[in-house]
Amino acid sequence: MTLRGVTAVIGVERAKLSAQIKVRLVLAACFAGPFVFAAAMRVQSSTPDDTLFGRAVNESGFALPLVVLGFTAFWALPVVASIVAGDVFAAEDRHGTWKLLLTRSRTRSEVFAGKVAAALAFSSIALLVTAASSVAAGLIFVGFEPLVSLSGALLQPSQAMTRVVLAWASVLPPLSGISAVAMALSVVTRNSAAAIGLPVVAALTMQLCALIDGPALTHRLLITSAFGAWHGLLAEPAYYGPVRQGTLISGIYFAVGLAIAYRALDRRDIAG
Amino acid sequence: MRVRGVDRLARHCLVAVCLCGLCGCVSTPITADRIEHAIEATFANLVRVQVARLNLRPMAVFDLDAVASCRRPAGSDVGAGDWTCRIRWRGPDRQRLFDTFDLVVATDGCYTATAEGDQLGRPTLKATDGREVRNLLYAFEGCFDTVR
Repeated sequence: MTLRGVTAVIGVERAKLSAQIKVRLVLAACFAGPFVFAAAMRVQSSTPDDTLFGRAVNESGFALPLVVLGFTAFWALPVVASIVAGDVFAAEDRHGTWKLLLTRSRTRSEVFAGKVAAALAFSSIALLVTAASSVAAGLIFVGFEPLVSLSGALLQPSQAMTRVVLAWASVLPPLSGISAVAMALSVVTRNSAAAIGLPVVAALTMQLCALIDGPALTHRLLITSAFGAWHGLLAEPAYYGPVRQGTLISGIYFAVGLAIAYRALDRRDIAG
Repeated sequence: MRVRGVDRLARHCLVAVCLCGLCGCVSTPITADRIEHAIEATFANLVRVQVARLNLRPMAVFDLDAVASCRRPAGSDVGAGDWTCRIRWRGPDRQRLFDTFDLVVATDGCYTATAEGDQLGRPTLKATDGREVRNLLYAFEGCFDTVR
């Protein structure tokens, strides 16, 4: 496997992805969603009180990206993570293009690495777009007011901005973990619908399991717990235990997912 | 050779995950001690922010001397769900005040506290300059570390 080979595969995957309507639609929704939400908050008198920072959404521009994060982390990000990752390998089965792909001068490992990198790049870009858009929407529609933290202390705008950026960054590991699971399903099932749908259903099921009170370790093993680990970053002083633990668990999902995907692809008899 | 290595890694990771799952007999981290500690600090900080927003004379957090006593209306004093916390604190003229909050505590250590009765005022308050501000003590959220 060479870097040049992997880069070539990434280039091909990038061209394929940028031509897909669904990819453009997802990125457009990631960009426009926070602005639509911010505009809706400005015109209506009620606030999303049942969400962390929901009460402060019209008081500080830094509350809005956190409300968006709280919502998307549980419902939208699993979809974003699997929409490309679940299709990236299965699409070759659907179009019957594995033979064509593997008779080129790229090895199976290079094709695997290139596709993994392209899928992870997409979910990271979607996350970045949503984060940047929600911060911009909050600051444009509401302003740079200080934010009341989850410990009741006031965070000055520069502190609040740092915490918001860290909070968004903290969901990158679980996002990658879910992408890896979707890629494993994409290789194993050879079916895009299953590989996109199953991780989302699994994530939603884990959300429901997380609502049930139980042993702490059981909760920590759910990758969805990592999506809520940012709460500690918005306390004063901040605590990092949940983020460290969430990153570790996400790393396990990531490694296991990719290992299964690689093994299944490597053992598959495509030429026959 | 490489495939075998990846295979072994995947197997080790699965074993690690299963072991962690089996160790999940550890009890819930949502305890009265943790909730009391968290709400005392959050309440004291919010009083200070609220006083500043209302343009009143500043109060130091330690002057408040907030002490919380939390219990779970249904059953044992551990676990997520509904809790009731009574906070004893000192007001601006050092008199003893008592306020009760209904809490909904989630499994991740985040809670929503809502004041019982109207001793702490309505959802919005008027500042000394006539501005209407949200009453931070009427309902508030907080989180505490469940990993520690």
